[in-house]
Amino acid sequence: MDIILAAVGDAFAWQALLAIVVGTWAGIIIGGLPGLGSVVGLTIFLPFTFGMSTITSMALLIGVYCGSVYGGSITAILINTPGTPQSAATTFDGYPMTQQGRVDEALGWATFASFFGGVLSCVILIFCAPQLAKFAVNFGSIEVFALICLAMMCIVGVSKGSVMKGLVCGMIGFFLSMVGSDPITGADRFTFGSYTLSSGLTLIPVVVGAFALSEIFVRFSSRDDPGAKIPEARLRLPKLGEWFKRWIELVRGSLIGSFIGALPGTGAAAAAFISYATAQKMSPRRDRLGQGEPDGIIASESSNNAVTGSSFIPTLALGIPGDVVTAMMMGAMVIHGITPGVRLMVDQAQTVYSLFVVLIIVNVAMLILSKPSIGLFRYLFRLHQGYVMAAIVMFSFIGAATVRGNPLDLVVAAVTGILAYALRRADYPLAPLVIGMVLGPELESSLRRGLLIKRGDFFELLTHSGISMALFSLLALLIVWTVWSSIAQWRAAARNQPSYD
Amino acid sequence: MKAIHHALALMIIAGASHTVHAQETLEIIVPFAAGGATDIVARSFEPVFSEQLGVTSVVRNLAGASATVGTTEVAKREGNPNIIGYAPAGSLSIQPSLKDLAYGPDSFTYICRTTSNPMFLMVSRSSDIEDFDQLVAASQEQPLLYGSSGPGTLPHLAAAALVVESDLDASHISYSGSGPAMNALAGNEIQFMADTETILENYDLRPLAVFAAQRIEGYEDVPTINELGLPEMEFSVWQGVIAPKGITEERKAQYSDACKATLESDRFKSFAENAKAGIAYLGPDEFESFVKERFEANKQVLHDAGLID
Amino acid sequence: MVARLAHPRVLLALGLFLLGVVLAFHAWSGPSDAMLVPRIVLTLWSGVALAITLVELSRVTGTGSWPLSTLPVLMGAVLIAAIAVASLGFLLASLPLVALTLWLFRLHRPLPMALGTLVIAGGLWFLFHHVLLIRLPTLLTSGAL
Repeated sequence: MDIILAAVGDAFAWQALLAIVVGTWAGIIIGGLPGLGSVVGLTIFLPFTFGMSTITSMALLIGVYCGSVYGGSITAILINTPGTPQSAATTFDGYPMTQQGRVDEALGWATFASFFGGVLSCVILIFCAPQLAKFAVNFGSIEVFALICLAMMCIVGVSKGSVMKGLVCGMIGFFLSMVGSDPITGADRFTFGSYTLSSGLTLIPVVVGAFALSEIFVRFSSRDDPGAKIPEARLRLPKLGEWFKRWIELVRGSLIGSFIGALPGTGAAAAAFISYATAQKMSPRRDRLGQGEPDGIIASESSNNAVTGSSFIPTLALGIPGDVVTAMMMGAMVIHGITPGVRLMVDQAQTVYSLFVVLIIVNVAMLILSKPSIGLFRYLFRLHQGYVMAAIVMFSFIGAATVRGNPLDLVVAAVTGILAYALRRADYPLAPLVIGMVLGPELESSLRRGLLIKRGDFFELLTHSGISMALFSLLALLIVWTVWSSIAQWRAAARNQPSYD
Repeated sequence: MKAIHHALALMIIAGASHTVHAQETLEIIVPFAAGGATDIVARSFEPVFSEQLGVTSVVRNLAGASATVGTTEVAKREGNPNIIGYAPAGSLSIQPSLKDLAYGPDSFTYICRTTSNPMFLMVSRSSDIEDFDQLVAASQEQPLLYGSSGPGTLPHLAAAALVVESDLDASHISYSGSGPAMNALAGNEIQFMADTETILENYDLRPLAVFAAQRIEGYEDVPTINELGLPEMEFSVWQGVIAPKGITEERKAQYSDACKATLESDRFKSFAENAKAGIAYLGPDEFESFVKERFEANKQVLHDAGLID
Repeated sequence: MVARLAHPRVLLALGLFLLGVVLAFHAWSGPSDAMLVPRIVLTLWSGVALAITLVELSRVTGTGSWPLSTLPVLMGAVLIAAIAVASLGFLLASLPLVALTLWLFRLHRPLPMALGTLVIAGGLWFLFHHVLLIRLPTLLTSGAL
């Protein structure tokens, strides 16, 4: 008990609280700026932590991390450009709500869902970390392969209009992730002899091009249209009765996020897509998803923020970072003498409990700071559209240039932007491109590892373990159902076929 | 602005002859993304190092392609006295044999080796394998799998060399880093792995042997590979400071003095203890011959394991 | 029929199909282990893109053209700036790009344009490169610009 009180005391020290406020607020702003995401935010603040105490520096970094995951939703809703890849799924319903004049409501749901997901995953982290970590160990390559296959099915769900076009975009994204060294053998692929290409393509430049730059091109073509103005946004949090009506959606999104976060090697972007796809199957309002339904925002935002808490489960319990961001946090811990690993909970219990308290305070701070942050974006977006667009171009460039310091990434962003504009004009959905790029590498390497383990026998993969058999059966069911319903849709569409001029 | 003030003050005090190029900022290239294990060491090294040199410095992360992108950048800046690289073992002593790169072991001015950690052969603590002979016996029954943090990394090479030289029957599966590989080891997807003390201490692992010439302090009961009746094998994860070719001898001496002083400073020492980075200084000449020796040895391993022709 | 082929939707789908075929061909001629997944993905890509081409071809009427006005200018500027960053450095490449973007978005008065360019391109560059020390690509080898 003493140790818990001491831990709470550490977390409520004024330095830690100040670090939380500064970190969370900066995180929200950085996350909201297209191109700059969690990694850039942490890179900016990492050098400042060298002189700080352990808890203060962790408070700062956790604040930046959680804030940036939430902040991405603001621009996703306001201008259809996710501030971070984690919030790409928020655009599906967030932007339609903005177009319908329900921007305040959309921001309110995004804020509340982020808060809810963040807090619920903290609770799970505090009470179930050892059990979840043990369960995650059972997820070997083959189980992960089955899970990612299931997740890939969400491409079908988010392809509004044409499943075929969605599939092609998914394949393009998947292909982009394959350029560079093969993760298993190290052989160069699709580099065509160019050394620059052998380091591969990374996610951020592609997301920046596909969403931010293409959005600028779209807005440019309609710059004289008064309807294209960025609306005045205020935050309106949902009333108790409203969120009570949707509590199942909130809990489901948060649980999905918490679970995905606990698996090493996935991350918040994957969680948001999987959660959205689940909502498409299970939400009572699923017919309206994609046309401005708060359930879509809830699915995306509750799950991506739930990852922030649970991604600490493998980090703290096993010393295995869940994604790039937690790997950076782990590095910062090592500097301060905390060695994440199996003995952390025993050797450094007080520090770990302080981290839990900090995580909860950060989520509360996020809720409080959401209002002034949205106010700042409202102020910025009131400027002449030219300034806003030029600034987005600059932030996209900075984001692409700083991912790994490679100028090639800027060219990737520009080319993706131009291609994405053409694809959007021809009604290709772009989200599958991001899904392909996010999930593709893990899908491929888990399959290849599985084949190595089973010495090349694909059918043995299917019967590897109870978990994998269950997941593969679910996948088969889902495929049959999807094919069945798309044939029905296709028949209906064939009767009143549209034509373009 | 601060950099200019700093440099101006220095010029007045020390006279123009000593401030070779101090008016410019020293750029330290780290070939990994910010926040990674090597980056953390470099960022702890940087402030003390630049204090010793009396210049302002800035860390630039240039990641990608197994750290060769950042290392290439250093090689390309021939004659530039204001850029150095904080390079890992892999990009200096393995990658040039694997890939067609714009640099080789002769493309740098070697400044110093900073840290070096011997590698251990390890299995999960939950497995019932207690020593190397049992591992070999288990592999005779059913071929084993070993993991690594990527193709062509030191964990891959060390284990591959062991498989070539012993009766161990095992094949390689690569993961996207030490973390995911540890997850696989915990779930018995792979059965053994070679990695450093940091990994050994952080996870529930049992060391079977160490890839070093002598037993390691703190692990006195862990035999060396040589003691197992196999040819001597030395694999360690090391890092060092490199500069482009064509800088003056004077600049080289400034760098290596500053490096030595940094490694002896209390600030860096206490960091190294926290991060379990073993400080292992080598001066310019020893470091150069060390890298070249490791380069040839690794090339031989790659060749024997069938990874290159 | 020929007129329909020139419709941008058809051209785009056809382009994707051809790209897919070229890449798939490359994948099938590569090593079988490293290219296993690329072969599946690219073959599927080619197949689906062919189907899309046929569907688009059957649906479009007339030649159709997308009104683009000066959009290609903006696209070209973004692309050229992105390429130029590698050799000119971040600042020199982004100043004209920001100025042009402001101009194209109908900000024609000289003072707001100059100020906007200075603040958005110069200010952000200074903030990141010199204040936050997040290094952006520089002009040749000197570190300052």
